Amino acid sequence: MSEKNYRLVRLLLLIFLGVWLVLIMFPFYFQIITSLKDVAEVNRIEPTFWPEVFVLENYSAIWNEPGNFKSLIDSFIIATANTILSLFFGTLAGYALARFPRQSGGENVAMWILSNRMFPPVAVLLPMFFLFEELFGTTDTHMALIILYLVFNMPLAVWLMMVFFRDVPRELEEAAYVDGHKPFKVFFTITLPLVGPGMIAVAMLCWIFAWNEYLFANMFIGTDVKTFPVVIPSFTSGSQTLWNLVMAFSLVAMIPPVVLFVILRRYMVRGLSLGVVKG
Amino acid sequence: MARLELQGICKGFDYPILDRLDLTVEDGEFFCILGPSGISKTTLLRIIAGLESPDAGRVILDGEDITEVPPYHRPVALTFESYALYPHRSVFDNIASPLRAQRLPRAEIEARIVEAARLLRIEELLPRRPNEASGGQMQRISLARTLVKRPGIFLLDEPISHLDARIRYELRQQFHRLQALRDVATIYVTHDYTEALSLGDRVGIMGRAGLVQTGLPRDIFERPNSLFVAQHVGQPPINLVDGVLRRVDGALRMESEETDFSFPVSAGHVATLEARNEPALVAGIRPQHLQALDDEADVGGRHVVEGRAELYEALGSMGVLVADIGGAKLTVITAPDAHIEPGRPVRIALRTERIHYFEPGSGTSLLDG
Repeated sequence: MSEKNYRLVRLLLLIFLGVWLVLIMFPFYFQIITSLKDVAEVNRIEPTFWPEVFVLENYSAIWNEPGNFKSLIDSFIIATANTILSLFFGTLAGYALARFPRQSGGENVAMWILSNRMFPPVAVLLPMFFLFEELFGTTDTHMALIILYLVFNMPLAVWLMMVFFRDVPRELEEAAYVDGHKPFKVFFTITLPLVGPGMIAVAMLCWIFAWNEYLFANMFIGTDVKTFPVVIPSFTSGSQTLWNLVMAFSLVAMIPPVVLFVILRRYMVRGLSLGVVKG
Repeated sequence: MARLELQGICKGFDYPILDRLDLTVEDGEFFCILGPSGISKTTLLRIIAGLESPDAGRVILDGEDITEVPPYHRPVALTFESYALYPHRSVFDNIASPLRAQRLPRAEIEARIVEAARLLRIEELLPRRPNEASGGQMQRISLARTLVKRPGIFLLDEPISHLDARIRYELRQQFHRLQALRDVATIYVTHDYTEALSLGDRVGIMGRAGLVQTGLPRDIFERPNSLFVAQHVGQPPINLVDGVLRRVDGALRMESEETDFSFPVSAGHVATLEARNEPALVAGIRPQHLQALDDEADVGGRHVVEGRAELYEALGSMGVLVADIGGAKLTVITAPDAHIEPGRPVRIALRTERIHYFEPGSGTSLLDG
């Protein structure tokens, strides 16, 4: 490619990336500025792209309702507990399916587990509600959602962990057996560290799903326990939605996942085990 | 100290890959298993290590049946063809793995690792990760992990076959010098016959479903019990000629059926070959038992055939000539500076007393015993 063509391609690429960036960032930008406007400006037909008055008080107003901060805590408890359970079961089942396909049912069982994620969740919304109410007496608890979200997160965790375990060469485990280590020790010291990056990725996916889930939370809980997605629609005054508060609150709710992602991103590096065992 | 005995090892039912295999490896013996790829040499090692269980038969170590003993309780050390180094641990920790399994004191672990690392010249790699090492270094790391264990049996699975020729030669020399390997029973699997002949106290040739011949390296080379063994030992490969025996003017001759190549049977072989009434057989002539003659060379009582040079390769330490003798293609090893032009007429002397004869169908040697 000539120098001139190369520059042209580079230029087009930059333009494309610029447009892409604007498309991606605009909603985020609009969320931030909306969270800083007053109600009158938010509800104007003609939108403004820069607040006329900066209303920082929005960020204190969202805490006026005492349950609002607690909703973030509730969400955190539910998402974290669910992630731990999903990962625990996912790791054990994934290992079994990857290493002992004949004994554990292999591809068929794995496919069946994954298929649990394929139905439209809304189809089981009511049955699930009555089922839980019948079983536990109430659905308005942390435990109800922690268990319910396993329905969605565990298939994902099982399937992904199975794939990660398959990537770990069996010979590494066998070498450790020959070295004289017993199976449990080998699992925890050889196999598990090698799927560590994968586990972190799975944990992130599970946690974010449980953190953001609205449909079931809205149906199941709301009095004793509230997750933040249930709180968001409550920012109303009479018949109007207080979009500035909605945006401010959801911006605050974005902080934990973003922080989590920034911290864990470097552990998600794959390919640690590649190139060490050759065929 | 260990003496390994395999009794009637079977693996696989419909397509047996090991069929009633018996083998005894004495304490201190270096036993090489030689065989082409995909002939389940590795499976045999895995059965000895306990990673796979035989469908029938017993593995006996020092008189004790260990067939059902799991791998982590067997006093064996196995190097994997793929090295199988733990990628998330330092080289030091990789080598320390078998010692930590034995719960040895820290000082002892360190001493043994340093000793092994010095021997294999990988000291500077100890703090690094295995994936920072080259192929040859990884092989030595994996070997170090096996050596420090001081097991009853060493099982080495193609430990140097992935390496380039120079390192391979260097490591082969090292295997000769490693006292640790010479003190206990070692089983060394390879598909390279030079490795097997060079290293083995005894060599076993593995064919389909088991060992075809075991014996001293010299015997394997000079007295193959079958066509299979003769074909897999030696480079360039042995020349094979299909033919029949005929009495011509009172002398027994071997005559090729499809070509005009023929030669008299050596006096030492006549009685054995005549004893069987079937005239058809396969003759095997090693390239080093043929000699391309200069015009004035002394024939020395050897049988001489004439033909044309077809191809010549100068390989530095030797030359390889493919000659057309009345339609039969014979590979001949020549002196390195022979430089025989293709197309030129050649005279080739046969050492008929070194020729092997095999049954055409089964491939068993007719001279065996």
